[in-house]
Amino acid sequence: MPIAAIILLPLLGAALPPLVARHGRPAPAWAAALVTSAALAITLWLTPQVLAGGEIHSHRDWIPLLGLSLSFRLDGLALLFVLLITGIGLLVFLYAFYYLPAKDGLGRFYALLLLFQGAMLGIVLSDNLLLLLIFWELTSLSSFLLIAYNPQTRVARQGARMALAITAGGGLALLAGFLLLGAIVGSFELSVVLASGDLVREHPLHLPALLLILAGAFTKSAQFPFHFWLPNAMSAPTPVSAYLHSATMVKAGVFLLARLFPVFSGTETWFYLVGGVGMFTLLFGAYIAIFKHDLKGLLAYSTISHLGLITFLFGLGTPLGAVAALFHVGNHAVFKASLFMAAGIIDHETGTRDMRQINGLWRFMPYTATLAMVAAAAMAGVPLLNGFLSKEMFFAETVHTDWLGPLNWLIPTAATLAGIFAVAYSMRFIHDVFFNGAPIDLPRTPHEPPFWMKIPVAVLVAACLLIGIVPAQTVRPILDVGVDSLLGFSPDFSLAIWHGLSLPFLMSLIALLGGLALYSQRQRLFAAHDRYFPRTSGAAAFQYTVLRVRQLANDLIARIDNESLRRYVAWLIGTTIVLAATPLLLGDFHLAGERAPTPLDGIAATILLVLAVATLATVRVRRQRLRALIVISLVGLMVTLTFIHFSAPDLALTQLSVELITTVLMLLALFFLPGDPALSVSRWRHRRDLTLAAVAGLGTAIVAFALMTRTTPSISDYFLAFSKPFGGGQNVVNVILVDFRGLDTLGEITVLAIAATAIVALLWRLRLPIRAGDPTGRPWADDRHPLIMAAMSRPLLPLALTVAVFILLRGHNSPGGGFIAGLVAAVGLILQLLASGLAWTEARLRVSYFALVGVGLLLAAATGLGSLAFDRPFLTSATLHPHVSILGDLELASALAFDIGVFLVVLGTVMLILEGLGRLNRPGAANMSPRGED
Amino acid sequence: MTFDTVNLIPVLPEILILILASAVLLVDLYVKEAEKGTLHTLALIGVALALAATLLVGGGERQVVLEGHYVRDALSDALKAMILIVGLLVFVYSRDYLRDRGLATGEYYALALFALLGMMVMVSANSFLAIYLGLELLALCLYALVAFDRDSQRGAEAAMKYFVLGALGSGMLLYGISMIYGATGSLALDEVAAVVAEQGLENLVLVFGLAFLVVGIGFKFGAVPFHMWVPDIYEGAPTPVVLLLGSAPKIAALALAVRLLIDGLGGLQSDWQGMLVILSVLSMGLGNLLAIAQTNIKRMLAYSTISHVGFIFLGLLAGTADGFAAAMFYAIVYAMMAAGAFGILLILSRRGFDAEHLDDLKGLNDRDTWYAAVMALMMFSMAGVPPFVGFMAKLFVLKAVVDIGMTWLAIVAVFFSIIGAFYYLRIVWLIYFDKPTTDAPLTDSGGVRVAMSLNGLAVLGLGLFPATLLAICQAAFL
Repeated sequence: MPIAAIILLPLLGAALPPLVARHGRPAPAWAAALVTSAALAITLWLTPQVLAGGEIHSHRDWIPLLGLSLSFRLDGLALLFVLLITGIGLLVFLYAFYYLPAKDGLGRFYALLLLFQGAMLGIVLSDNLLLLLIFWELTSLSSFLLIAYNPQTRVARQGARMALAITAGGGLALLAGFLLLGAIVGSFELSVVLASGDLVREHPLHLPALLLILAGAFTKSAQFPFHFWLPNAMSAPTPVSAYLHSATMVKAGVFLLARLFPVFSGTETWFYLVGGVGMFTLLFGAYIAIFKHDLKGLLAYSTISHLGLITFLFGLGTPLGAVAALFHVGNHAVFKASLFMAAGIIDHETGTRDMRQINGLWRFMPYTATLAMVAAAAMAGVPLLNGFLSKEMFFAETVHTDWLGPLNWLIPTAATLAGIFAVAYSMRFIHDVFFNGAPIDLPRTPHEPPFWMKIPVAVLVAACLLIGIVPAQTVRPILDVGVDSLLGFSPDFSLAIWHGLSLPFLMSLIALLGGLALYSQRQRLFAAHDRYFPRTSGAAAFQYTVLRVRQLANDLIARIDNESLRRYVAWLIGTTIVLAATPLLLGDFHLAGERAPTPLDGIAATILLVLAVATLATVRVRRQRLRALIVISLVGLMVTLTFIHFSAPDLALTQLSVELITTVLMLLALFFLPGDPALSVSRWRHRRDLTLAAVAGLGTAIVAFALMTRTTPSISDYFLAFSKPFGGGQNVVNVILVDFRGLDTLGEITVLAIAATAIVALLWRLRLPIRAGDPTGRPWADDRHPLIMAAMSRPLLPLALTVAVFILLRGHNSPGGGFIAGLVAAVGLILQLLASGLAWTEARLRVSYFALVGVGLLLAAATGLGSLAFDRPFLTSATLHPHVSILGDLELASALAFDIGVFLVVLGTVMLILEGLGRLNRPGAANMSPRGED
Repeated sequence: MTFDTVNLIPVLPEILILILASAVLLVDLYVKEAEKGTLHTLALIGVALALAATLLVGGGERQVVLEGHYVRDALSDALKAMILIVGLLVFVYSRDYLRDRGLATGEYYALALFALLGMMVMVSANSFLAIYLGLELLALCLYALVAFDRDSQRGAEAAMKYFVLGALGSGMLLYGISMIYGATGSLALDEVAAVVAEQGLENLVLVFGLAFLVVGIGFKFGAVPFHMWVPDIYEGAPTPVVLLLGSAPKIAALALAVRLLIDGLGGLQSDWQGMLVILSVLSMGLGNLLAIAQTNIKRMLAYSTISHVGFIFLGLLAGTADGFAAAMFYAIVYAMMAAGAFGILLILSRRGFDAEHLDDLKGLNDRDTWYAAVMALMMFSMAGVPPFVGFMAKLFVLKAVVDIGMTWLAIVAVFFSIIGAFYYLRIVWLIYFDKPTTDAPLTDSGGVRVAMSLNGLAVLGLGLFPATLLAICQAAFL
């Protein structure tokens, strides 16, 4: 896996610089250089094989489910980029060592550079789209950390932030594009994708996939309208700019265009999108660059412009266009890296990058000046330098383009114009910085930088010259295989310096002369630019968008999430209605099932009617609480009647006593509620709630109707059949409670007991303010316990207790049972509490309710355990039939003991709760613990 | 009813947690105030034991026990183990915070343990009854925990809202379950599935029931438009509770969805798919959009949760085995990321100060490089930046959606994650590029640093080597 090693070396080697950082300042730099050299050495070792026309592949599965594999390919295209990345990387490492302040530890910086390098190598070597994407995002991430390496200023932070937002966002768009591409082709392997060009171009998803992928490429390569992050990223340390913003990261976008060239190129869409954007960016970037006073700003816009040029060349979709594009990728990397380094030296030595201050540096640093001027000349496209060659090829291509028909002439014209601009800004870099009078107010006195800091610049400038003079001997082989990997063949092209007096040469000449002329008129140009050029910028647009999105979010929050519970509930119910109604409205369903409706008799109709009226009345009088309570107990009574009507006496009895007790409970609680609840509800909200309630009610009715008209399997037959033989009782309800579902009941009474304990604990020593009178201001009656009521209630107690015992005993066979009996007994006791007062009752009833609950629970549990002794499962009931004189035949099931337990627990619980609440009613009395405890 | 000991072996982890929770309650009565640390140790040991038991009894053939109500299969093994691991993290991260505020009482540990038990029951449930039992056990514990800091007014309000809405949500779920029971005559999931396969979409009652189930599931997940409780509760509840509530229950909610929608109502997929698409798109959109405007980091993470739920739904609605595995992967990964993020907030808090605002994260890097790195890791991962595990999780669900031909949905999802990336990265900026607003030192103890490091490394390591976890997830849906 030598290819994987090229990537892994810097990625893993990134750990090295911080580790060796304590061995002196140079150590991290050496470590980084060593790692990169090793990667470069491997590449060089493989180079002959690639140059001979052999692509090197390696493949290893990673996550087969995703189609994500560790596939790498080293072909001509990748080779070109790998050489650039590692070669320029080495020079940047050397340069950075001298550039960064001596006090800085370099471990982290070199680690980040290596990390970035590894990610970048990963992009160019990946043979799998998803793998490529991972490396792509890694470059965004590591570049973010590099740009923000030394975040002194707010601007620097903003720049880093914007760069990350744009490139990472673009990366996600790319992800979507790759997913589409993978879906079209059926594989994420590049080798497969590259071979499926026709399939992709004819697929209906071709356009969205292309757009998304281009969004990724254009954001990374700073193409209009995403270009603005690049100038803002110039706050990065200059070595980072030299590396990322000239040679590598910004080239990732155009690399992608090259990589997918065989798949997408050649269509009309491709030309208009890629070519159009490229041409516009070329012109726009070159124009803006002229007006930048910041040295690095100028270089940034120049980079944007050159990337536009490369993009345009790929956009043409022609073989020679591709050749020129690739050639320019290399050339631009070489001269732009050296220019950034030179700018860094100037910044380093003068303390500023403002060209209005920096003048006449020639006298202070002649060597640097010479190197920078040669590089700038290459940028301008002066003959004998590498920039000239690729630019000449570019001009030639524009002349031969015939996409626009009668308007074909526009393209060479625009290209020439861009050339003029390029010469003008290059001139500015040369003349304004190194000549043009004396420096103004420089923070430092400039002088030549350390020798080794110039070396990387010198090497790059030498490369400019070498390639510019003997291209065929230097870059031709790599270019040949590079183009071959794009096109599958290498077109016939000439790298001669002199092509004769052709149209392209003429264009070069015009550009040179025009540029010089333009530069000479620069003062007037600046003035005109200031006056007429629109003041909008991409960065501002970006900020504006961010602002608007935030506003939108804030609006949404105010609209949806205003922290009002009422609104939340409305949403919840509303959505539920929609979700439940959709299938009914859209689907082909019969609402009514197969069962015929039961005929409506008079009693049922009356009950229903009263029920409905009582419900509506409750809603109507809901503000007058006492009245509402009375009306709602009518609802409860009607439900009881319904149970009786449908022959469920047990349920009816239970419902009745529960209804009573809850009403008393609520009455006790009413006493403590604050006065008139003067809630003002807006009319709109009122209507909304009304509608919602009505629709929800209607929905429930519909669901109930649909359910009840269908036959559903029923288990009641089972209980009816086995109640007597298994449970020994004829009252099915009770048998279910104490036998079939005995365990449930045991659980329930346990919960009851726990609840009672908890409520007592809550009310413990609670003091509540007690109002002197009712809400209208009338004082409470003096006579707390009217005599007549007390007198009348007393005979009722023995009656109630007798009834309770009766109900308890007969429960197993006839309607009744422990639960109901407990409630009935409780009602009798509550009556005493209400009529005669707590103290009176307490004095007479010396029972601890806690003890009642405890005994009840124990009894129930013991009954259950008893059956274990007979080797039967827990809570199996046994039946006895003793004959007692007077009482006659008694049927005593062990369930009776269980039921008594239930009875005691229910009684105790209800009393504990009510007594606790009742205590609160005594003015000034703190709630003490129930008897037997305190 | 008879108990067979063989029946109980697969339930061993749950039994252990139950014993432990009861033991904590009892021990709490007898230990002195100064020695409440014992409870912490006890809880950790118990959860670790339960984890070991899960691994011990796990693996192998699917076992159905307890009269068909309970199942132990590959899904339950994996999810239970993850829940317990996250539970361990929760306890470790929360300790200092609770101790500083006098909240490290037996009630906290008991409630948290019962909540864990509830989640485990949900994961292993094989009938509607067991599902509901687990769900309510979890929910009731969480209601109480939200209001746990009794002096906090916001906590009380949050708990109140949570309870009212939660009761409503559970009620909807129960309503749906009752309808499905009515239509199929069974509470056991496999029997329900058999009947559904037979009746399918023709039965109106089933379809009604399904709608209510989806509402219940959406509510428990916190998907839009059932998300309202999420931000308020995240903001109002004490951070350790949010940590508990925002991490592991997502895994349990996934189990809920899988058991109900796939095991039970798989035959109605064409129906619930559409509903989930709506919930998913709304969740991703609204969650990400509203998160941008937040200044309270707990609230921001709440909206972030909502958006991640949208992604989990993507995997579920795909309806393929790969999709389910992707959703499961996502839920597990999310729980880990959330645990890490809230853990950092706990570390940042100290006596009398709760880290709640974005500004509180400013300059974290200057205060503690390692924690800053871990937090950045979590944020990058949540944003879906490779090579962290969040990216892999997103990729899996997206792939699943693309595979069933819903490319538009994948693009929508990617679009919203671009918006989402914005606010996660903002936190990274705050951590690295702003000056700290305070120079109070970060205090940590009790292996917090170790746990947090492991948590961070897991997010990184799983991103690079997701195959094992993925294989586990896939095995659950074979």
